[in-house]
Amino acid sequence: MNIKFIKKGDIAVIGVIILIAAAFMLWSNSKSEAVQAVITVDGEVIETVDLGSVKEKITVIPATSPRVVITAENGKIRFESAECEDKLCVACGDLSKHGDTAVCLPSKTVITVTGSDVDAVVY
Amino acid sequence: MKKTAIAAVIIVAAVFVAFLAYDGAVNKEYSSDFFVMNTYATAKLTGSKSKEAADEIRSLTETLDKGILSRTSENSVVSLLNVNGAGDAEKISDYLEILFDVCRKSGGAFDFTLGAVSDLWSFGSNPKLPDDSAIREALSHTGYEKLKLTENELVFGDKSAVIDFGAAGKGIALDEIKAVLFEKKIKQAVVSVGGSVLLMGDKEFTVGIRNPEGNSGSYIAKLHIPEGCVSTSGSYEQQFEANGRKYHHILDPETGYPVDNGLLSVTIISQSGILSDALSTACFVLGYEKGKALAEAYDCGVVFVADDKKIYAENGAENFIEITDDAYTLVMQ
Repeated sequence: MNIKFIKKGDIAVIGVIILIAAAFMLWSNSKSEAVQAVITVDGEVIETVDLGSVKEKITVIPATSPRVVITAENGKIRFESAECEDKLCVACGDLSKHGDTAVCLPSKTVITVTGSDVDAVVY
Repeated sequence: MKKTAIAAVIIVAAVFVAFLAYDGAVNKEYSSDFFVMNTYATAKLTGSKSKEAADEIRSLTETLDKGILSRTSENSVVSLLNVNGAGDAEKISDYLEILFDVCRKSGGAFDFTLGAVSDLWSFGSNPKLPDDSAIREALSHTGYEKLKLTENELVFGDKSAVIDFGAAGKGIALDEIKAVLFEKKIKQAVVSVGGSVLLMGDKEFTVGIRNPEGNSGSYIAKLHIPEGCVSTSGSYEQQFEANGRKYHHILDPETGYPVDNGLLSVTIISQSGILSDALSTACFVLGYEKGKALAEAYDCGVVFVADDKKIYAENGAENFIEITDDAYTLVMQ
C-alpha cells in the first residue's frame, strides 16, 4: 500500500485532533458524574442545582399553589416545608443520591437527582 | 492516488454522517413527565414518533381518567354508574371481566366495590380515622357479588354500592398506553403511571423495588426483566398517624381497616397492566402464602417485602431479583 501522500504535517494535525477528542471525552465524562438535582413544576424544569457545588444554603420557592419551600445545602436537597395537607413530600427527607426523587402531587412539583442506575422504580 | 484516497475518505464520511442522521431519526429519544389520575407519570420513549407518542399518552390518560375512571369527574362512566346504580359499561367491560375474575379468584381479598369505605378514610386528600360504626355501615354496601355484568350492562344489586378503580386504574392506563406505543411503532419505552411501570422493547430492563423507608426514587432490590408490566402495592404510601398508630391505604375488604399482616409491599410482574396492578393489591391483602398461590394462578412473578426485612421472590421472580440493600435478606424457599 502506498502511504507516501501522508506528510509529517498531516500526522501532526491528526495528533492534535486525537488530543482534542480525548480532552472532550474526559470533560463530558466528568460532567455526567456531577450530582445534579432538577426541580420541575408540572413537567417544566424551573431550576437545576449542582449539589456538588452547593456550599451555602440555597432556597427555591416555585410559583405554586399550595406553596412549597425547597432548600439545598451540603450536597443535599429537600422539601423543607409545604402548605399541602399530607406533606408527603417533606416526609421524603434529604435527597442526595443519584435517582433520589420526591414528588409533591398537590403543587405538581418534583425534585429528582439525576443519574439513576435503574430504568424505573416501582412503588 | 492521492485524489482517490481523498475521495474515499469523503465517501466514507458521507456514509457515516448519513447513518448517524438515519439512526437519530429512527431512535429519537423523548422524555416527558406529567400529572394525571391524581398521580405523577413519566414516559421515556425511543422511536421516530417518540414525541407524538408521548403527547398522545398524556391526552389519552387524561381522557381515560376524566371520561371513564375518575370518581371526582361527574360525567365519567364510573361516576354515572355509581349515581344510577346501573348503566352502560361497554367502555370498561373487558376490564370489568378481568376484575371480577380477580375478585373471585382472590376470594374477595380484592374488591372494587369498596368505594364507600375508602371514602371514609379520605386517602389522597386529608386522611382520618373514621368511626367504627360508619365503617361497618359502609361495609354492608360492599361486595362484588352484588354487581352483575350482562352484555356490557353493569347492574348494582345494592344501589348504595360504590365502585372504585383506585387499585386497578394505573394498570388499565398502562394497557391503554401499550396500544399507543404499538401504533406509533415505538422501539423502546419505560412508562410509569404513579409507580406502576410498563416496559417495552428488546432489552433487559432494570426496575428498582422502592425502599419502604426511603424516597420514591430509592430502592432495596433490582429486578432484571424483559418487557412487561410491574406494579407494587406498598403500605408506606399515603400513611397517616392517629391515636399513636400508623394507618395505610390498603384496606381489607372484610374489615374495612388497613391490612395488618407484616407486609410492607408486594410487587407483581405480568404482561398485563391491569393484572399487575390489581394482583399487587390482592396479594398484599392475602399475605404471603395465599398471595403466592394467587400470583401462581395468574402465572405472574411476585415479590413480597416483609417488615422483618425479609424478601420473598416467587413464581420466577427469584430468577430476576438482586438485593441491593444490605438491611434486607432474600429468603430462598
